[in-house]
Amino acid sequence: MTIPEDFKTRLKIAKSKIKKEVQDLDEKKGSFMGNAFKLGTELVAAVAVGTIIGFILDSWFDTKPWLIIIFFFLGAAAGILNVIRAAKRMQKED
Amino acid sequence: MASNPMQQFTVHKIGPEIKIAGIDLSFTNASLFMVISASVILLFLFLGSKEKKIIPNKIQLIAEMFYTFVAKMISDTAGSKAKPYFPFIFSLFMFVLFCNMVGMLPYSFTVTSHIIVTLIMALFIFIAVTIIGFLKHGFKYLSIFVPSGVPAVLLPLITVIEIISYLSRPVSLSVRLFANMMAGHTMLKVFGGFVVSLGVLGGWLPLSFSVALTGLEILVAFLQAYVFAILTCIYLNDALNLHH
Repeated sequence: MTIPEDFKTRLKIAKSKIKKEVQDLDEKKGSFMGNAFKLGTELVAAVAVGTIIGFILDSWFDTKPWLIIIFFFLGAAAGILNVIRAAKRMQKED
Repeated sequence: MASNPMQQFTVHKIGPEIKIAGIDLSFTNASLFMVISASVILLFLFLGSKEKKIIPNKIQLIAEMFYTFVAKMISDTAGSKAKPYFPFIFSLFMFVLFCNMVGMLPYSFTVTSHIIVTLIMALFIFIAVTIIGFLKHGFKYLSIFVPSGVPAVLLPLITVIEIISYLSRPVSLSVRLFANMMAGHTMLKVFGGFVVSLGVLGGWLPLSFSVALTGLEILVAFLQAYVFAILTCIYLNDALNLHH
């Protein structure tokens, strides 16, 4: 009595497993664009933060425009560092 | 119909104006869709955990899949020490995911397409992670700004760069989610506008693009929730396990 019922549920679970594997593959394909976005924002955010810090320090110490220039480049360096780290993390994931 | 593709992002009040100590706390459409997302999550998890069967039905299967997905993500990226933070990361992931997904429904409002919402979430994570780091390691936590094996001459420069890199975390976390959601929804609206203006003869091409973009947007909605949660795990990992 219980055997066909049991078989049905097992079939259902096996089918959903196959479906999930196919879905995982699809997600991997889509994640390339996500990765590209991730690296872009990582770079831009650090530059923006560096520039803002420079701007704030400039208005504190009244040294316009030197600190904003210095911190812009420091922010760019931090952004490149972030991108390298994110890329390393991606390689580790694969 | 609205032809301005940015009009979908306007926040307007629902019901009476509430002002407490000079701060506008009125109920808006953004608050409404946050409440809707939260209630959908609660309903979904309630139904998923109502009948605890050994052989799960569909909704229980999905709920369990979400649970194992987040649990695996935390143990993979932040290790066993991050176990106590599971409830927080699970709620964060579910909230971002459902806000994104509810936003995909026609006539709805995407809460996560507003920088203020994502920035507050990111700042909360950033401050919480910093506090956790200081609680766990004391002032030794500051050593994440000083990488090992750097010549003494370069140390001040590297430390400043590291501090900027640390401070840029909430910005990149929030801007990524906000920009993805806003760009996607604007694009959908623009293609929708093309369908209307090109009419029956030429409207089929943008319509097919619109359909494809909707699929892409659902993928992006999931992906961004995943990225948001996994980056929280990575930041938590930095705070829990120094010099990893």
